[in-house]
Amino acid sequence: MAATDKPPGTEAKTELKIDHIGQEVNLPAGTRIVSQGEAPEFFYVIQSGKVRVFRETADRIRTDLTELGPGSYFGEVALVTGQPRSASVEATEDSRLVKVSKVEFDTLLDQNPQLARHIIQQLASWLVAGDTRLETEVVHQVKLRQISWFDYVLMCGLSVVLALIFNIYNDNKIPLIHDWGQPAVAEIPIGQALALYRQNKAVFVDARKSPFFDQDHIKGAMNLPVILFDLMYPMFQFTLDQTPGDKDKTLVVYGGTISRRMDEDLARMLIRRGLKHVVVMKQYRDWASVFPITKHPPKPAATMPLGVPGMLEWIPMSIFLLFLIPPIRRSPYLSVFCRLLLGAIFISFALSKILRPAVFALNVVDYGIMPSFGVNLWALALPWAELLVGLFLILGIRTRAAATLIAAMNIIFIVGLVNAILHHMPINCGCVGEVGEPVNWLKVTKNVGMVLMCLQIYLYDRLLVLDRGGFILRDRKI
Amino acid sequence: MKTNFLKLAAVLGLILAGLVLGGCGESRTPFAGTYKSMEPFAGKGYIDLNLQEDGRGTWTLAGKTVEFTWMVNEKKVWIYTKTGAIIIVTPSDGGKMLSADMTGEWHKGCPANSCVVFRKVEQGGQGH
Repeated sequence: MAATDKPPGTEAKTELKIDHIGQEVNLPAGTRIVSQGEAPEFFYVIQSGKVRVFRETADRIRTDLTELGPGSYFGEVALVTGQPRSASVEATEDSRLVKVSKVEFDTLLDQNPQLARHIIQQLASWLVAGDTRLETEVVHQVKLRQISWFDYVLMCGLSVVLALIFNIYNDNKIPLIHDWGQPAVAEIPIGQALALYRQNKAVFVDARKSPFFDQDHIKGAMNLPVILFDLMYPMFQFTLDQTPGDKDKTLVVYGGTISRRMDEDLARMLIRRGLKHVVVMKQYRDWASVFPITKHPPKPAATMPLGVPGMLEWIPMSIFLLFLIPPIRRSPYLSVFCRLLLGAIFISFALSKILRPAVFALNVVDYGIMPSFGVNLWALALPWAELLVGLFLILGIRTRAAATLIAAMNIIFIVGLVNAILHHMPINCGCVGEVGEPVNWLKVTKNVGMVLMCLQIYLYDRLLVLDRGGFILRDRKI
Repeated sequence: MKTNFLKLAAVLGLILAGLVLGGCGESRTPFAGTYKSMEPFAGKGYIDLNLQEDGRGTWTLAGKTVEFTWMVNEKKVWIYTKTGAIIIVTPSDGGKMLSADMTGEWHKGCPANSCVVFRKVEQGGQGH
């Protein structure tokens, strides 16, 4: 091996003085002395000037390895091993070198044990350094396929931090915990409410969205959806005024979701408008089994055309077919496809939710499985998590951890969707668009497809991965 | 590593641009203006609807004003209230008439029993 075969970072060599051998040559700056890949013929000792050692790839990407000055030498190891030059050398200044042929070099080695020992030491140290580099690379490759808690802390922590910062500056910001510090509203036990109902001494107000009210409500109740309060209150007041005696009755507000924000919010708003005797029903979920009910058959939300994002979300269905073909099922190229698709889907779905968290928070409330204190935090953090994991998948950063997070999100979505379908909830999915997206079994199937895609990424992803050394463009096997 | 950071920064920049552009929707100009409801609402008079070009708007009835933001999406006007409600408004007659779906849901047309129809009375929105 020669100096030209050295890896980057090799230290300068000890000075070598030779007499009566070789041929002195003067080279102007810029002269190529040794070319990578050529057969070795000479050993060089620098007497004056400077040379640079560098490597060049087939597509002309150059890496400078080292610079050598007077007293240094290069080309000796290639003469010993007989291997082609693995690097090039060019003069960076006008230089004077002694050019030693192989025959002369062999003679020099025979007569100079100190030089021979030095070359052996160099070779040995490069071997050890090579082994260390190989081990580091193997460990790194293994670590690349491992998942650590740090990955999850990184993605979840970053999502929460970005969500909180963005919420501060967002025109459509929402409080972290809805109704935090708001005065409590008087509650009425359901038995007392029923007594008032039978005596016609109360007006019952349903605070839910109109599709819920249309589906079932307490017989004779009025609907004032809390989300449209400011716009619809005049109509509510008008209707109340039209019925003699209603103005002085107790207003019993009910909602029926674990999130409670519908009924309690509405009660507070009515009190702020100067209405007295406003109470909320204590056993907020039991009214349907206690009161006489007006029922209508379940009517799913109207379907709005969703355009390109709508088409995009159906591509995961293709995974069911692709999984039937074993070579494709295990292909790392399929992993890249799954990563890009899931990344694009999750990023595009996250954007509107990030901009208008209040709309998404109401979608979360509609599902009726998130407690009140968690709704806004979930509505703020989830879209950022979707955005980040989507980004990580596309860029190839921590892809296995990102895939497990997306799978976890999808499993939560599946639970919510199945619960909504089984309970005939007339809700909007909140998956792609903000409205006009009914929940149905096809949506569940799409989410199952995405879980399968995550599984495929988890098991087989190893291409186009961004690690510390840059993008891995080809399949690397350990 | 520097190149990787640059790539990451470029992607983050694209996402930021996407966020900004995604929030803009289609041009608001054709629908900006002042509108008045065709019928009195809740026995309290007519509703004045003001859509400003900057995406802000007001809904005024009997001296009480509600502020909101709005955008144009798929040739419909989407009104976003602070509480998170969305009112889908369907323009007709070249934007001279607006039909607001007061259910807060999306429907193909404006449901007859939950529809408030507005007529344009002035081009361009009035700022505060």
